[in-house]
Amino acid sequence: MDTSQYLDIFLDESKEHLQNLSDQIMELEQNPENMDTINEIFRAAHSLKGMAGTMGYKRMQTLTHDMENVFSEVRNGTFKVQPGMIDILFKSLDALEEYVNNIQQTTEEGTNDNQDLIDALNSILKNNGEVKVGDSASAAPAAPAAEPAAPKAESSTADGSGGKGERWQDIKINDTEKMLIEKAYTEGLKVYGVTVYVEEACVLKAARAFLVFKALEKLGEIIVSSPTAQDIEDEKFELTFSLIFISGNTADEIKDAVKSVSEIEEAFCAEYKMAAAPAKAAETAKVEVKAPEEVKAAVPAPAAAPVAPAKPAASTTKPTASAKPVVNRTVRVDIEKLDNLMNLVSELIIAKNSLISATAAEGKGDNNSVNEQIEYLESVTTNLHESVMKVRMVPIESVVAKFPRMIRDLSKKLGKKMELYMTGEDTELDRTVVDEIGDPLMHMLRNSADHGLEPNDVRIANGKPEVGSIFLDAYQDGNNVVIAVRDDGGGINVEAVRNKAIERGTVTPEQAETMTEKEIIDLLFLPSFSTAKKVSDVSGRGVGLDVVKSKIESLSGEVEVKNHFGEGSSWIIRLPLTLAIIQALMVVVGDEKYAIALGSIQTIEDVLPEDIKLVQAKEVIHIRGTVIPIIRLRNVLDIPSAEENSNKNLTVIIVKKGDKLAGLVVDELIGQQEVVIKSMGKYIKVPKMISGATILGNGEVALILDTNALI
Amino acid sequence: MDEVKVMDEQKRNASLNRPTERNTTQFIVTQLGGEQYGIDIKYISNIIRMSKITRVPKVPDYIKGVINVRGVVIPTLSLRLKMGLPEDEVTKRTRIIILTLEQHESIGVMVDEVKEVVTLDEEHIERIGYEKDEKERFLSGVGKADGKLISLLDITSVLSEIVDV
Repeated sequence: MDTSQYLDIFLDESKEHLQNLSDQIMELEQNPENMDTINEIFRAAHSLKGMAGTMGYKRMQTLTHDMENVFSEVRNGTFKVQPGMIDILFKSLDALEEYVNNIQQTTEEGTNDNQDLIDALNSILKNNGEVKVGDSASAAPAAPAAEPAAPKAESSTADGSGGKGERWQDIKINDTEKMLIEKAYTEGLKVYGVTVYVEEACVLKAARAFLVFKALEKLGEIIVSSPTAQDIEDEKFELTFSLIFISGNTADEIKDAVKSVSEIEEAFCAEYKMAAAPAKAAETAKVEVKAPEEVKAAVPAPAAAPVAPAKPAASTTKPTASAKPVVNRTVRVDIEKLDNLMNLVSELIIAKNSLISATAAEGKGDNNSVNEQIEYLESVTTNLHESVMKVRMVPIESVVAKFPRMIRDLSKKLGKKMELYMTGEDTELDRTVVDEIGDPLMHMLRNSADHGLEPNDVRIANGKPEVGSIFLDAYQDGNNVVIAVRDDGGGINVEAVRNKAIERGTVTPEQAETMTEKEIIDLLFLPSFSTAKKVSDVSGRGVGLDVVKSKIESLSGEVEVKNHFGEGSSWIIRLPLTLAIIQALMVVVGDEKYAIALGSIQTIEDVLPEDIKLVQAKEVIHIRGTVIPIIRLRNVLDIPSAEENSNKNLTVIIVKKGDKLAGLVVDELIGQQEVVIKSMGKYIKVPKMISGATILGNGEVALILDTNALI
Repeated sequence: MDEVKVMDEQKRNASLNRPTERNTTQFIVTQLGGEQYGIDIKYISNIIRMSKITRVPKVPDYIKGVINVRGVVIPTLSLRLKMGLPEDEVTKRTRIIILTLEQHESIGVMVDEVKEVVTLDEEHIERIGYEKDEKERFLSGVGKADGKLISLLDITSVLSEIVDV
């Protein structure tokens, strides 16, 4: 079978299952008795195994199979979850992840059998089996299937999970179904109860069930099934389903029909005996005459088809699309298509802007209706833009979900007790940004765990709780998303950093003396600067924080550090929501128009020429107690134009970068506008102070100033 | 409507079942100073009238700036300055030829005038040897059509130098 077209789905779903497994096993570690968790784990492992099997990844299948066996035993109550077991399970998850990664890169799972893990898993099965249920020990290593150890329940109704039997006896029937059965009796047909067991390894259970239904419909009529036909269709059943069936054939014929479907392990069939007295049959038969229409309407799918056994009731098993449960109403879309959509929206916004400027040029006055329509258009484009942007947004959950596991492992490795608390996992960011922030965040968490938190004994000595806390908080703040990594450890020892910087020759002792705490902390972001006393596997190799910083900056974000020596530190990442469309202030310099991102603008000041002072041959102004350097855009941008009128008041835009300020002198302000950032192509090497271009309403191009590069 | 002209020429050639098996190339003939230059039609995606060029600071002088072509920002350069000729004088005949060498990467070049489309046989093209002066650096050959001489521009070498800058 050619499975390549399913590879994407397989990869996506495998990753989902693996993440789910990881989460659940974490949960299990905290809460070993929780049956829901165990069931969830079992289901996820089972699906994963099935998928791997279908795609022909044998090694992956084998490993998952053995994991599943362990869970199966836990679920059956044969033995309990133990810490050692959790470790092996985590290792197995890592191995599975490796398989998936290999598959993603090469479509092959690799050649690592992970025999040690399989052995470990089997020995869990074996040892616990010996201790708790003597008779299953011999079976475990040879045939690591779940059955041998599972309690073989003789009574079909008593045990829900393990036993096999004629479960159809549990089916409850309602009045309409009773009527149908009674009618069948009067027509001389027989009523059977059928219970079907699907093989454990079966991947497409719903499809098998469908085939069973199909086969049975040739022989008679299905009255009711448990679970319902809808649930069976949606694979909401484990390995078995039961139904009540009217037919003229014998029980054996029915049994054979069911078993003719492949991957069916077992089928039970026996005559169904109803408690109600057949005496009533004649009476109800009369009612039946006018009943069919009602029956159709009242009873959902399974029992719908009335009296025509010759014509198999196809409608009972046909998928009813509209009734599908809302499990996952999503569509996977290629990001390129979304980019395209975004471009079109940008075009629309540009067109709208040109309409505005065109009507403005036409002359103000009696075109109220045009203005109204433009306002309407404006609200539509704004909403459209927001919606398209939202489509591209994904919760950061996909990235941060792996962190609790990482902290758990770090805790063991470093021998420190610590807990990770996360909030705001549902905060959304542009897809392209989310894909990129995983590594920087991971690095910062590792830093907190390794350098931030003190060893447990030190913590106790300092009067702190023994278990260290790391917090990861994400939230939206205006047009930005803030992700903060915080710990309650020792904080950054500024003196240690200072000494280290001197020792390394990064700064001279004199320089170091005059540096502020913030400047010292900024040294940490320099390449190859690590203060960890010993290099550990976790961090301290001096690569990292500089990478973190450059990565965040490449996403137009920034990193900020807040340090409280002795109480911990927090690392705050601030990222823009989107990169494509920004609010900007349009200004005129000379006869050229420029856009300045609104986000970086602090205030706009009207400055008298005589208020400009010279400090160290640089122009500055003094505003509300702050000295702010002045940048004359006319000079910086080489604008060739007439002499400036030196007596005129200056319009100065105060922009900020971090906590630095600068005043940009412009000639005129146009106003605020939504601008679409366009790339200028690779044939032109733009200076750093230009971050891109945008198209104005009249079709002209205006450049966007990057004020960060100017300061 | 220069655009249309180009299209028509191509269509006509196609319908006349002319060329392709014979070694012919179509060139757009442009006027630049006193000379005529040919640009291989396969690189040309559009020819537009002079429009407002937005100057970009701190770039080489032959890059005139950027223009908006149907919502795409495209850098524009002056072929005159690039080839060491005097600065352009913008007239109503001035055109910007949009060249597209790779997918989604375009550049505009300013020329004094766009004249016509010629189809040249390989045998009517004289390749230029290794000795090239400043101007000839960007030429791939000289074509003869109706008794005129047309210098054929080697667009890739014109542009490759820009990318390196």
